[in-house]
Amino acid sequence: MSIAAQPIDETGNERTPAERRWWLRSLLALIVLVPAALAVMSYEDIRELLRNRDFFAKDVAWGNKARFGGSDWQLTDLRAALGRADIPPEVVPVLVDLTVTVGETDLQSLWLSCRIMLIDGTGRRWLPTAAVSFRQTDDAMTCNSAIFSGAKGGDVLKIRETFLVPKDATATIRPAVGVASERPGFLLFQRPQN
Amino acid sequence: MIQRIANIAVLLLAALLCYGMQTTKPHYADLTAPIPVYGKIGETIQARTFDIAVDKVVFARTLKFDRFGQKKLLTTGGIWAIVTARLDARDRSAMVAAATWQGPDGLNYRASERTSLAAGALPVALDPGVAGRTRLVFEILPSQAADALLLVSGKLAGPLDSEARVALGAVALQADGVPEGTIETYELSDAF
Amino acid sequence: MFGSARSKLKAWIAGGIGTFAALAVGGALGMFDSLQKPVVMLEPGQPVETGPWEVRPLRAYTVDKGVYGLPLKAGEKALVFEAEMTNRTALSSKDYFTTFKSTGGTDDKPYIVLVRDSSMSPALQPGLPERMAYVWGLPAGATPPERFVLAVNGEIYKKRDNLYGVPGWYNEHVIGTVAIPVGAGPDTPDIRP
Repeated sequence: MSIAAQPIDETGNERTPAERRWWLRSLLALIVLVPAALAVMSYEDIRELLRNRDFFAKDVAWGNKARFGGSDWQLTDLRAALGRADIPPEVVPVLVDLTVTVGETDLQSLWLSCRIMLIDGTGRRWLPTAAVSFRQTDDAMTCNSAIFSGAKGGDVLKIRETFLVPKDATATIRPAVGVASERPGFLLFQRPQN
Repeated sequence: MIQRIANIAVLLLAALLCYGMQTTKPHYADLTAPIPVYGKIGETIQARTFDIAVDKVVFARTLKFDRFGQKKLLTTGGIWAIVTARLDARDRSAMVAAATWQGPDGLNYRASERTSLAAGALPVALDPGVAGRTRLVFEILPSQAADALLLVSGKLAGPLDSEARVALGAVALQADGVPEGTIETYELSDAF
Repeated sequence: MFGSARSKLKAWIAGGIGTFAALAVGGALGMFDSLQKPVVMLEPGQPVETGPWEVRPLRAYTVDKGVYGLPLKAGEKALVFEAEMTNRTALSSKDYFTTFKSTGGTDDKPYIVLVRDSSMSPALQPGLPERMAYVWGLPAGATPPERFVLAVNGEIYKKRDNLYGVPGWYNEHVIGTVAIPVGAGPDTPDIRP
């Protein structure tokens, strides 16, 4: 019997078959335990990462309402605002109008870090711009000002955001909404059909 | 006896090893430093969230600046360095918030706050497909004008985010120490 | 059995002596630290190195009108102190809010203005000396002092701080005090060394 075939432990005794069996079992257990430990340790980080990202789109057909962050969201308009002299001709200001029927009223936690976006066919994303502003004739507000508007359940809020988009993207852009309480999911609205 | 000497040797070796590891350990500030993307003036440099191409650098002794409809002449103990650059967002809207002029001696000049109300000053918001521009104004020592690096990043403190580092190239100095071609007054107009 | 007990005792005694020695050294160091150090009097007009800054106190005066773009209501008074400050570090900095501290008779926090163009507390650039004005409001009815006593604070450079291991300026401490005669109005001349 060679030494390699019969390992010796530190006290110089030969290993019994039972010990060998447990040694093997422990080794096999590590294959499961090490990845499991890594998963448990990084769980919080991955959750935090996803909570900051709009990852999984939930499509909303034109004219439909969708429950999101405790309220019902509906796209009412997506249009270009032309005729601004101070904007270069290859860039188009785009207005997005949403109508939200408030359900749960705790907007300050449900709508936290609310982000309204435009997403085009190639996956490019635009955030609202502060470079142009249009005189608001009605009671429209931005998503972030709506959070602090003190809206009650059943109130209907008009939310309007302005974007700057190159002309070539205007044919495929779709509005999208993300809030912290629903991330990584987000609403992706179908373009107006008419 | 030999055993004892061997023990001492092992102990010394361990101490040496620990000391070596301690002195060669990278600084925490280095481990979390921004990730540099290098380039030259005129080239388009691709950072993680934006592209930048520096057009030109102008040196001036004074700046003329229209603040709230009131003309102001901004003086300096050194010279003004004005950098204009094109900026583009990559595939999503982005911000460019910080710029630093790093002189050849390693002195770091943040973009001047005295001109933060001028057109093109940081922070600049960028949208994909919409050409952006910035005009960065620095107040520097004339000796730091030549062979400087321009550091531009998306955030003021951006650990582990990319930072564009643009080599601004050689600049000849005049007899009075200021760079050749330094103009008397640069006007911070709305168009640039 | 007996031998082992003796060696245990030895170890206990050695450990005890070590502990007491450490406590004694620590206590002594603490005592030295808390000893009242004599206050260093700094000469106005002379440059002082505080660590991140080289400062030169230049003049102090009272105003009853607005100064350097700072408004002042009728009847209010302010104490203005001006100094030349040079950033000695390698990075633009506005770490000067506590470099000069009033030792009494004024409001707690000053407004700090760049004299060159009256901008409110801008970052100062490495190697470029600038004249800065510290403006303290005076409480209603207070008479301005004849000599304004200021504490000059310095900081030390640490390659890595204890919490994050990042380099920076820490451990603010008083370097000395400067007593500067208070003139009337902004025409007060600079003090010549």
